[in-house]
Amino acid sequence: MMQYSRVEKEFFFRLNGEEVRVRAPPGYTLLEVLRHILHLTGTKDGCSSGDCGACTVLLDGRAVHSCLTLISQVEGREVTTVEAVDEKVADAYARHGAVQCGYCTPGFVVATAYLLSKMHNPSDAEIREWLRGNLCRCTGYVKILKAVESLAGDDG
Amino acid sequence: MKSLSYIDVFTPRSLEEALELLDKHRGELAVLAGGTDLIIQLRKAQQKAPNLLNIYMLDELRYIKHDNEIIKIGALTDFATITESPIIQRHAPVLAEAAATIGSVQILNKASIGGNIVNASPAADSLPALYVLNATLTLRSKTGTRKVAIEQFYKGYKKLDLQSGELLTEVSFPAMKQNQIGMFFKHGLRQGDAISVVNGAILLEVLNGYVKDARIALGAVAPTVVRATESEKTLIGQRLSEDVILKAAQACLTSISPIDDVRGSAAYRKEMCVNYLYMTLWQMMRMVNL
Repeated sequence: MMQYSRVEKEFFFRLNGEEVRVRAPPGYTLLEVLRHILHLTGTKDGCSSGDCGACTVLLDGRAVHSCLTLISQVEGREVTTVEAVDEKVADAYARHGAVQCGYCTPGFVVATAYLLSKMHNPSDAEIREWLRGNLCRCTGYVKILKAVESLAGDDG
Repeated sequence: MKSLSYIDVFTPRSLEEALELLDKHRGELAVLAGGTDLIIQLRKAQQKAPNLLNIYMLDELRYIKHDNEIIKIGALTDFATITESPIIQRHAPVLAEAAATIGSVQILNKASIGGNIVNASPAADSLPALYVLNATLTLRSKTGTRKVAIEQFYKGYKKLDLQSGELLTEVSFPAMKQNQIGMFFKHGLRQGDAISVVNGAILLEVLNGYVKDARIALGAVAPTVVRATESEKTLIGQRLSEDVILKAAQACLTSISPIDDVRGSAAYRKEMCVNYLYMTLWQMMRMVNL
């Protein structure tokens, strides 16, 4: 394979409440920066094409795929990863056994936190609608839905 | 995952600067808006991916305005914003409906209407709605501004009336009138986040129970989105009845030329196209004749 020279630039953004400055290739994805430069490995690389949702993070508070977001698009913005999402979401997944291999779980947790930030008490239909961008190949989804239902209307 | 670590990305701070850069690097830069399709394409590319002009930071291209019965949408406006917009829900519900089907929540939050238009997939879900709304595209360059009707913008499969140095900045269309109704349909292989096998939009103008005007656009059944002109002619001047809508649905076959691909055969697409047109017209008939 042909080798191309690598460019690097400096990027500045807020990550989980803190200001971050990184040197990275401007064509790197946010996912590559998180995992390979910042060693924040909670966010997973699943399909690399925006189908599975394993790499979901919040960009300015909205769920997006970090595998389809270049670091250049993040400059000056706020990123929240699974490491900084309210623990009660992951706890609900654990309590309901909504985890088997666990690879999809960080993406589900972030997508769930995003759903709860948009609506306090989602219906079953709304939960399915809002989590349609996240795939799980183990659990069959029932326990995941139960975990999210347990959070609906929760003031805690 | 194939890394794009070797490409350079230019990030202008204003539209003016973006147009300067496009002019200076004519034909050398690909424009990065939301990136939900472009980044996948670049990773798949066999050759060296081009450097990018990252316009994602240009908030001046994010807006939805209702201005003198014209709806104006900035090219960077994402589909979540479009589908949730009270202006779009009220004055172009057919576009709100189409926007909601484009992909998962994560895709809707990032994918832009301008990206969907310039990416020019024949299966793009916003396009049939924009066709029936008679949308106009605003193209800016360093030297001026040009407007093109959306139907004139597509010259063939992924062939656009877009010069190097030009950037799509706005989509506009007349607000729907009281006596117009619009519906969007999409047939994918699963419910969520699927590429359309067939999609389409219908806009009817009804006066005293008769169809005064009909516009039908179909996607994923030809190299570009197409108007189903024979179907439209079958409807205009008629009262909607099961007989009329069946004839109109069948008449679409003269307008479409689908291909076989992984999502469906040409024959399947033809059948689905007729069926969906019939089903959608049937629902609209119920709304009109209530």
